[in-house]
Amino acid sequence: MNWTMPFFCLLFIGRICNAATQGETIMAEPILSIEGVSFRYPNQSDYAVQNVSFIAERGEWLAIVGHNGSGKSTIARMLIGLLRPERGAIRLFGCLLDDTTVWEVRRRVGMVFQNPDNQFVGATVEDDIAFALENNGIPRAEMVERIREAIRQVHMEPFLHHEPHRLSGGQKQRVAIAGILALRPDMIILDEATSMLDPRGREEVLETVRRLNCQQRITVLSITHDLEEAAKADRIIVMNKGEVMAEGAPEHIFRLGSKLERIGLDLPFAVKMGSRLREQGIPLRAGYFTTEELVEELWTLYSKK
Amino acid sequence: MSSHLIIGQYVPGHSVIHRLDPRAKLLIVFVYVLIVFWANNIPTYALLSLFAVVFAALSRIPFSFIARGLKPILWVILFTLLLHLFMTKEGDVIYRIGALSVYEGGIKQGLFISLRFLLLVLMTTMLTLTTTPIEVTDGVESLLGPLKKMRVPVHELALMMAISLRFIPTLMEETEKIMKAQAARGVDFSGGRFSERMKAIVSLLVPLFISSFKRADELATAMEARGYRGGEGRTKFRQLSWKAADTAFLAAVALLAVLLFLLRS
Repeated sequence: MNWTMPFFCLLFIGRICNAATQGETIMAEPILSIEGVSFRYPNQSDYAVQNVSFIAERGEWLAIVGHNGSGKSTIARMLIGLLRPERGAIRLFGCLLDDTTVWEVRRRVGMVFQNPDNQFVGATVEDDIAFALENNGIPRAEMVERIREAIRQVHMEPFLHHEPHRLSGGQKQRVAIAGILALRPDMIILDEATSMLDPRGREEVLETVRRLNCQQRITVLSITHDLEEAAKADRIIVMNKGEVMAEGAPEHIFRLGSKLERIGLDLPFAVKMGSRLREQGIPLRAGYFTTEELVEELWTLYSKK
Repeated sequence: MSSHLIIGQYVPGHSVIHRLDPRAKLLIVFVYVLIVFWANNIPTYALLSLFAVVFAALSRIPFSFIARGLKPILWVILFTLLLHLFMTKEGDVIYRIGALSVYEGGIKQGLFISLRFLLLVLMTTMLTLTTTPIEVTDGVESLLGPLKKMRVPVHELALMMAISLRFIPTLMEETEKIMKAQAARGVDFSGGRFSERMKAIVSLLVPLFISSFKRADELATAMEARGYRGGEGRTKFRQLSWKAADTAFLAAVALLAVLLFLLRS
């Protein structure tokens, strides 16, 4: 077969996908839909993911939470075609994910991994941002333009020529995000992207993603075991042993309380504190997840008295 | 300390030599290394030395850095000199100590060979002193480009080299961390008998290897997620630009080659 064939196929499929996404705004088709997906790792009898279905709307911040081994990272890997589901279908931008669409999907869906060091390919920040652009055959002149734009969006302009070992973990993750932004993505997947960072680095990264989510309506899929982080999502999916245990808005999910703790998740401090206070007969309303919100609730309660 | 870490011997600068295209520098050094072996009399060696000295001077690199690069081979040079001094038996006898005698040819030969050695190392050191490892990689990839037709995986080799370079500081940090962790568990890396020290090093190498394999695996996944699928259809961000100065320096080394060829006896 002629070596150019796959590229032509890809171009063609890209067109169809684009047409599909344009139609989507009218039909409000979800950007991502997973239908009855199951997956088993080779040589294992137990399913890592079993009959999972959910959707993500365009511009939404969706968090998938679960303890280690709940299958949440496996789902992320299937979404960009790193793993192939045994059963079920994954649709992104209205297209079925398969061998012909996987490269187009990888261009439009960026993934930030857990370890900041092990995803930094380039010798310097700009080389690293360029890596994905090079892979997609973007002409050099346009690359320079896109790199400048992406680095500005993550506020890392002064570090353009820095080597990775001179950056903090949070800065490296922001570079990883810039590398994704340079491809002008529709969706960012954070696969435990903040779990190896210090609190400050974590806040930097989340703040950056939040801004992109609000301003550019980039869909965010955040995979985490940190409920504090998930509390800020629009919607939460709780995974346990490869299956979806619960799904809903954060206030709905946190009402599960001890059920979440039983599957190995740690409730945010403010939620735990709030329920203890309620047990003591203090009339707090529910629906806050951060320490600030709890403080706000407490002092307004005090002044109401 | 690790924030100032410079891989290789690169000394940052903005001299003519620093700004030369890495391909030009690689070619110059390559040609120079070949023609050094043509030299066999005083004019040819003088020309070669003149070229190397001018090249070094143009780089504006402090002499102390160059000297540091040459230091390790000083003993080899000295050894070569002595070997030739006593083993070559040509020309008149100049000096005699017991059974050993020094001939005129020996002195000449010894000096020439030592000088040849010195010049070789000087020029290759100049390359690494004025070119970052990543530039060398780009240059090698570009120069070996034609070999792609012979199915040599040039792009893959260059990428491997670039990634190795990028991970040197990361792995050094990791080594330091593991050493501290093992020292905290009572491993003694500095003292003890040779066999004990070897055992201590094993306790460093095993975790280091395991974590490197894990890193490599994760890196491959991340690369694939970012759309890497081999060299085909790929564009390049780093670009080399061949300037007039590059042509000029290459012409100079070509002229040197011609002169050497004519002047050698």
